[in-house]
Amino acid sequence: MLRIAQKEELQKMIDGFLADYEVIGPRELPGKGIFYQPITNAQDLYLGERFAIEPVKKFFFRPSEYLFEGGLKEGSEFLEGIPLAQNKRMIIGVRPCEARGLALLDKIFNTEYKDEAYVSLREKTILVGLSCQAPGKDCFCTSIGGSPVQARGMDALIFSAGSKYVIEIITDKGKDIFDTCPKEPDKEEIKAWESLKEKSNAALRKKIKIPESLDNIFESGYWGKVSSACISCGVCTYLCPTCHCFDLVDEERKKLRCYDGCAFSDFTLEASGGNPRPTKMERYRQRVFHKFDYFKKNFGEHLCVGCGRCIRHCPVKMNIAEIVDQAPV
Amino acid sequence: MNSLYLPHLAQITGIKQETQDIKTFKLALLDLSAGSFFNYRPGQFVEFSVIGEGEAPFCLSNSPTRMPKGSIECSVKKIGKLTQALHDLDIGDRVGIRGPYGNGFPVEQLKNKNLLFIAGGIGLAPLRSLINYCLDKRTEFKGITILNGARTPKDLVYQDEYEHWRKAKDTQLHLTVDCQEENWACMVGVVPKILETLAPTCEDSVAILCGPPVMIKYTLPVLLKLGFCETAIITTMEMKMKCGLGKCGRCNIGPLYICKDGPVFNYAQVKNFIH
Repeated sequence: MLRIAQKEELQKMIDGFLADYEVIGPRELPGKGIFYQPITNAQDLYLGERFAIEPVKKFFFRPSEYLFEGGLKEGSEFLEGIPLAQNKRMIIGVRPCEARGLALLDKIFNTEYKDEAYVSLREKTILVGLSCQAPGKDCFCTSIGGSPVQARGMDALIFSAGSKYVIEIITDKGKDIFDTCPKEPDKEEIKAWESLKEKSNAALRKKIKIPESLDNIFESGYWGKVSSACISCGVCTYLCPTCHCFDLVDEERKKLRCYDGCAFSDFTLEASGGNPRPTKMERYRQRVFHKFDYFKKNFGEHLCVGCGRCIRHCPVKMNIAEIVDQAPV
Repeated sequence: MNSLYLPHLAQITGIKQETQDIKTFKLALLDLSAGSFFNYRPGQFVEFSVIGEGEAPFCLSNSPTRMPKGSIECSVKKIGKLTQALHDLDIGDRVGIRGPYGNGFPVEQLKNKNLLFIAGGIGLAPLRSLINYCLDKRTEFKGITILNGARTPKDLVYQDEYEHWRKAKDTQLHLTVDCQEENWACMVGVVPKILETLAPTCEDSVAILCGPPVMIKYTLPVLLKLGFCETAIITTMEMKMKCGLGKCGRCNIGPLYICKDGPVFNYAQVKNFIH
């Protein structure tokens, strides 16, 4: 289902959403870059082509959050979950790769064992995407099942078309919020939208090949070679829309869940002093295998959306796309 | 809504000092409505926590056939911060328990088989659960052979149960220690060497082993040499765990998560990933 709106009309709609929803979207922070943040006015939104530095994952799987608190002191023995936030939220301007990342995280957190903190945030959040028309040089979503105009995981997806936006409505939630926008695009406008999508796809130049399986190269010396530059900073895991490894930490009487990552040497360090992934080689190999082999074996697709963040922000210029592309299978 | 990671409160009802650094805790859940919790299988584990100190996985070390409903046993070796905190607890103290998690031993596969249990040190804990389970359902299994090793006689766990195991029908218990000590009448030598000497039959047999990585590493080739096929060698694996539910991402061996797909695996499943 398609709708079309003048850019000013969409701004008015967004200002309307602010009455009922906490609205989050990309904002330009001078000297820092683009960050997803709550907005108070449609004018706050940055709906241009630059990418947000951090993925929207942080609004669902939070960098650190308390899960429950408890105490074992006399007279006050208890263990209680932290109440979940109740407000309705809308995130506007989510990139197709990031919405796809959430669909992948659902396979981890919204399964037979539901992670309530994540699931409740997913359920009460409407996602309105923004298609990419000038993908970055490190983007490779089309090589891994995505595209700059893919609507997977969204409730609605917006396409910038000159002075107007074409709005592709995907779900009932998307239909509900855009019911104030009754105008459908005419034939000409639909044709223009379709050619716009083709152009966007064509603008994504980086293509990689992903081996069917990495089984045969688990023991290869390749992993030692490609991981030698890694400084184990873990920025790739924090900025990845699909990385979901976490730690559970006792902080006084509360249980804190916070991001953790396979890049860190203590991630698998046991109390005995043993460590099954003692060097960067084992740790980086785990990262690549998890994303491009194990997850596919378990869930039928790769745990990577090709957003290129880990490449853009790696301080030593490691490039997972090229590493996978050139894997000596 | 309760968090997936929220433990049930349990009370320590018994503590037994097994060795200098291993204690067995008997625990009773305070919330008897904690439903499914009480149905565990040998080989499963729980996340055991001292609130404010931390949480770690421990196997359930006694058979469900021997525990009152809502009670469990865990044996804990003092080795780090959390296990030190656990060892400092007394009867009556409250702890947190999440679980039971993991697949447990494939009991159906073991029926009408000769069972060869091979344990090293605290590795006897998950096997003890299965041994006692099998002894309580003795007619469902064929011969039982237990080979249990430890560094020294003082490091042998569950010593007060050995007599019961020895007396059970068609059951043999072999004890070995790495170094000879005074008044030690059983065998001396590391587990793989003793296994070679005992040379138990592989016919209609399943080997179930648990122990330190070095024991596993050198015992596997002996079992293969004795003719055990890869799917008839069953082991329980351990790695650092946090969630116990296949989410936190640290305990995988290849595509398999020890917490969710294990901790019990046959050798064919994990041979490419253990060294």
